[in-house]
Amino acid sequence: MSTEHAHWLERGDIYALGALDGVELKDFQAHLATECSICKAYIQETRETLNLLHRSLRPTTPSPEVKERVLEHIDGENGVSLTVAQPKKSRRWQRITGTIAAGIVGVMLAGAYYHFRYEPRHTVYSAVVNLLRDPSTRDLQLYGAGPTPAAKGRFLWNDSGEGHVFVTNLPPPPEGKMYAVWTIAQSSAPRYVGTIKPDVKGQGGLHINSTRSVLPMDTFAVTLENEDTTAAPAGPIVLVSKQS
Amino acid sequence: MPVEPLVDPVSLIQRIAAQNRDAFSQFYDRYSPIVYSLALRMLRAQSDAEDLLQEIFLQVWRQATVYRVERGSPEAWLINIARSRAIDKLRSIRRRERSFVLTDDPAAAESPDNVETSAGESESKLVMNSALANLPEAQRRVLELAYFDGLSQSEIAARLAEPLGTVKTRMRAGIQRLRGMLGTQAA
Repeated sequence: MSTEHAHWLERGDIYALGALDGVELKDFQAHLATECSICKAYIQETRETLNLLHRSLRPTTPSPEVKERVLEHIDGENGVSLTVAQPKKSRRWQRITGTIAAGIVGVMLAGAYYHFRYEPRHTVYSAVVNLLRDPSTRDLQLYGAGPTPAAKGRFLWNDSGEGHVFVTNLPPPPEGKMYAVWTIAQSSAPRYVGTIKPDVKGQGGLHINSTRSVLPMDTFAVTLENEDTTAAPAGPIVLVSKQS
Repeated sequence: MPVEPLVDPVSLIQRIAAQNRDAFSQFYDRYSPIVYSLALRMLRAQSDAEDLLQEIFLQVWRQATVYRVERGSPEAWLINIARSRAIDKLRSIRRRERSFVLTDDPAAAESPDNVETSAGESESKLVMNSALANLPEAQRRVLELAYFDGLSQSEIAARLAEPLGTVKTRMRAGIQRLRGMLGTQAA
């Protein structure tokens, strides 16, 4: 192994631990972007080793209520029952916003019909309606960038961390790649919230309803990543909520 | 009483990817205790750990299709998700605390007055019968601060008041030693 590569592998140890930062992190990420197979294999092996550290902890059984909540949630996503949390609102507000939301949703859902291959329409539609009814929901434009300047999108987002992304003109990702969606709170690291799988027409969507955040979100981005990249974005930005 | 054989976790993930609820339930039963113990150790508060556990398994349900067996075991995949999300939460909490706690002393920022203590915390004490316990104290300390507390190398150097180079050397030495010890154990 060359001395030059030993230098990268030393950084790879700390990167795999999640502790690399600053310029060293940027340099190493740039190196990884060159698809260095040696470093990728080394990082995977190191992570497997480090992940055994959690076995130094005594396993603790969580309360049964947590499992019940999780199962209720996935049942809701499957359309068995609708379990999207809805804040209580006054009947007056519901009447007013319901009328407005119905009009907007009619237009949006017509374009979104093909997006929801993995989520039953009823649940997603209802969740989007709830988002539009929520007075805290913001509607942000997403702008194409990098390899997909023609891509466009919208991001509906409320204060409780629920949101929905609509994209269009986004070509299907290359083999082994995925479109990762990230939220960025004020001056903080990007946070992975899900994957968008556009159809052959370049349309796709993602509903997000479990990303409660301490800080208000101010930027949203979609990047092209290797399929298992969820820790931090490393690929090019394809959509972003703020034009640079 | 007959003992049911454990289902291959890769098979479970594949069935979860096909939205099989029973497979998901089995996967949760098998792995939630280790994920929860990690969440408790990292976040310290029972309520935060339960919220995180819920988020992690919902992510498993939604993204089982992205799992690739050639890139590691289901447990490693799951723990990577858990650590990544826990670190995000920890960093958010620390940023929030820095807004209120005017101190440069990280120990003070994590004093019992500022961190919810719980029965869960005592339950998640490290069981020092592992390879981790066999590391030199200085190496173990930096690895714990990075792995369980989500601190970067610079943050660890600041916390320990040690030069950054020393911290990096200890990390690498600790990882190399773990690699050898855990490799031996796994064989």
